[in-house]
Formats: sequence, structure tokens, C-alpha cells
Amino acid sequence: MSEKNMQNIVKEYLKKVKSKLPEWLKDKKEHKEILAELEEHIWSKAEELSETGTATQRSVQIAITHMGTPESIAKEYKRRGTPKVYITEELWPYYLRVLGFVFSVILGISVISQIIEFIFGSVDFWEIFWNIIQGVQTGFLVSFAIITIIFVALSLEGYFPEDFKSKKIREKERQQLKKAQKEGIPISEITKRPVKPYIKPIGEIIGGVFGIIFGIFIILQPIPAIFNSSLINPEFLLFLQFAGLFILTEGILDLSRGLIGNRQMIAHQAIHVIIIGVKLASISVVILMMNRPEIFPILIVSEPGDALINIGIAPKYYALFRGIAGLIIAIVALSTIEDFYRIYKAERYKR
Amino acid sequence: MIKRIKDQDSKGLIASKETRKIMEKFESDLVRGMSKLIVLSIIKKFGTEGLYGYKIIKELEIQTKEIFILEEGHLYPLLRKLKENGLLKSEQKTVQGRNRTYYSITHPQGEQFYNRMVGFFSKLTEALGPLFDVNVNLYPEKYLYCPECANKIDLNLGANYCVICGYNLDEIRERGKK
Repeated sequence: MSEKNMQNIVKEYLKKVKSKLPEWLKDKKEHKEILAELEEHIWSKAEELSETGTATQRSVQIAITHMGTPESIAKEYKRRGTPKVYITEELWPYYLRVLGFVFSVILGISVISQIIEFIFGSVDFWEIFWNIIQGVQTGFLVSFAIITIIFVALSLEGYFPEDFKSKKIREKERQQLKKAQKEGIPISEITKRPVKPYIKPIGEIIGGVFGIIFGIFIILQPIPAIFNSSLINPEFLLFLQFAGLFILTEGILDLSRGLIGNRQMIAHQAIHVIIIGVKLASISVVILMMNRPEIFPILIVSEPGDALINIGIAPKYYALFRGIAGLIIAIVALSTIEDFYRIYKAERYKR
Repeated sequence: MIKRIKDQDSKGLIASKETRKIMEKFESDLVRGMSKLIVLSIIKKFGTEGLYGYKIIKELEIQTKEIFILEEGHLYPLLRKLKENGLLKSEQKTVQGRNRTYYSITHPQGEQFYNRMVGFFSKLTEALGPLFDVNVNLYPEKYLYCPECANKIDLNLGANYCVICGYNLDEIRERGKK
């Protein structure tokens, strides 16, 4: 048999191996090196097996048999992660993260859509409640099944989290890790990356100061031309002062967190507990406002130079007003999830 | 040459498919567990020059008198893993018109890792020796094994502490003098 035919046999075999190699390996363009190495090995073995020292069709075929089936070679490359309940230990934290993220989205969508239904539709509270339970239950079950199947398949294929990142990002992370090790910054056991600071103090301080200023402004209502009981309903001005009180409190708490910085995690946890209380209490003001659309002011100037007049909300927009207020309630309630998460996250930063 | 179960004819106890399967699996697990260390040992013998895949298998056959046979399909993924772990480095060389990938142990990471693992394996075989009625000689005049982590330390190098766990080796020497 001619040299060309033997080369065709080897090429055909390597083609089959290539088709069986895991996708993550193909993406890295490493498969060319792998195939070149296997090819070199087959020729060396074929020469050794041949009596003349030159590869023959038979010796090439025996060398290929020794190499193993394309499936068995690919299987060895896929044998990569550390087994942990069908999903490898390397992918496990990402599996939990994806589950957590998808579950939160499902919960959020269910709650918001049912609040809108409650405001605009004619369903009662219990119907809404059971709709949420049913929607969340089905959503959780379906997403759990799909996500688990995907992660089991990725584990069987031998994927690692870094296989989903570009070479540039991997190199950047490697440099960051090296720098962190040099500077003694703790490395996360889950992500294997330098631990990010718990908060950015400057951001919290700026946000807190703004909150305090705005809160005081609303409480004191210092512009008589606007905050005027003959222009705006006194009841609304009182609601506004309550809202200002909550904004001021949150501003003080944010400022405190910024001043504490990345220390005293117990203090951070305690502040977040208070913030949750403040946020939930502030919902009461929005509910009160929601039921009094007629006192909500809309100030306009009919002609330039004229004084401000309050035209209020037209009754046909009351439903829209209630809808917006309902949405604000949902957003405030859902924003407490972040505080709960921060309480949990602070645990990991305790040393 | 000792044949692996899968290369044996179906005679005797292994005529039974089930028994054959169990034995094959047992044998494969044993070989798989040791193959990383054995491949590193063969590569280490060739120092910085390194060794390419086909030659690793040939050297392994020679050094172990054809008792430890590593399958080709198992070797290359294993070399890739060792390289990925930073224990091996590779270099492309053209020899007699052929492009070959030569592997050598990284310094110091690969060498330190190897010494720890070979030390652990040696102490393990020494401890298991009486179970199998086998005598294992660890050459105490040449090597010291860290009492904490079993790292294999060449006595000629005169190290004061174990690079793996930081154990103070002078303490052992002092005790030896007494």
C-alpha cells in the first residue's frame, strides 16, 4: 500500500478523534497540538512494529489499535473535574449561583406581575397569594431541572469554569491573583480570585450625605413658594415629611456604613437589619399615599411669570397612580433582598 | 512481561465475564492512581532535556521490565493535565524531520511536588510491605523523609527545613546525634 494510503488511514483516525474531543478543548485551539502528538506517536509505533523499520499498512493499523478508540481517548480528556454529586466540585459553586440567580428572577417576576394584577385586576388577595406560590413552584421546578441537566452535561464533558472565559480574561485574572498573593490579599476559596472589598466606603459616604441633605430638605420644606399649605394639601406635606424622615434615616445609616468601611462586619449586619426595618416601614407611607390620589399635587405655571398652580391628578389617572405606587412598593420590598444578601455576605468577610 | 487482564485469554477464573470485568476495573484503578507519579519519574530521569510521548512509553517499558505498560490513549491526556497543573512544561523540537513535543519537569514547582508525592508513595509502600510480605528499602543513608508530610529529601543537599510543610529538619538531626 502506498504512503498516501497509509497517511489517509492515519488522517481518517485523527479526524474521528477530533470529532470526539470535548468542545472546551476545541475552543482553545489546542486540539491541533494534541492531534499532531498522536500522529507522531502512531508513525513512531508503526515504524517500530514493522520488521523493516519502515511503516507498513499493517503496522499503521496495529499502532492505531494500540492508541485506542477515538471515544476512549476523548473520555480521558473529559476525565477532568473532581466528582461531587454528578456535578464536579469545580462547577458546583457556579451551579448554585445560577440556581440562586434564576430563582430570584422567577420570584421577582411572579411577585411584581401579581401585584400589578392585584392593582388593575379584580382578584382578591388569597387568589394572588396562591398564584404566586403556584408560579414560583412551577418556575423553580422547571428551572431546577433544566439547570441541573446542563451542569451535569458540562461536568461529564469535563468543563471547568475558566473554559467559558477568553484567553485575555484568563491572563488578566492570573495577573490579579499573582499581585494579590504578593500583597497578601485573601483569595476566595470559591472563585479562586482575590476577595473584593465588602463595600466601597467613598460611594456609601457620598450616597449617605446626599440622602441626609435630601431628607432634611423634605422634612424642613424650606421653599415657602412651593411647600405652601394653600397650594399643596397639608396632609400631603405631612406624608412628605414622613418620607423625608425615612430618607434621612437611610442616609445616616449609609454614611455610618461608609465610615465603618471594610471592618466590623457585625456592625454592618446590624445596620442592614435596621435598613430592612426602615424600608418596610416606609412602605406604609406609600400605601397611605396610594389611597389618596386626590391630594397628590401636580404644580404648573400656566403663563411664564405667573404663580404656581396645583392642578392635581385627573380622576381617570387614579388607577395609573395606584399602579405606579404599587410598583414602588414592590421595588422597595424587593430591595430588601439586597440587604439580606449583604447580611449573609458579611459572614464570609469575618476573620 | 506480565499481561494486563484485558490482554489475557478467557481461561481459568477470568473465563467468567463478570470476574474479568471486576478484575479489569480493579487493575485499571491501581494503574490509573499510580500513572501520574510514574510518568513524572520517567520524565525526571531525563532532566531539562525532557522526553516525548512515544519515548516515555518505551522508557517505561524498559525501566519496569515491561511490567508497567501505560496505554497510549491514557498518556497524552495525562501529560496535558500535568502541564495544566504547572508540573510539566513542553517544548517543540524537530528531530530527524519530525516535530515532537518534549516534556520536562518544571523548576521548582514540579520538582517539589514530585519529591513530596514520591516520598508519600515510598512511605506508603514501606508501611504496606509487611501486609504483602514484601520488603521495601528506602535507603535511609541517602534520603530523609519529612516526619510531617513524607517529603523525600536528598541528604546531600543539606536542607534545614522541609520546603513542603516547613518542618525543622535540624531537630531530626539533633535527635539522631543523641
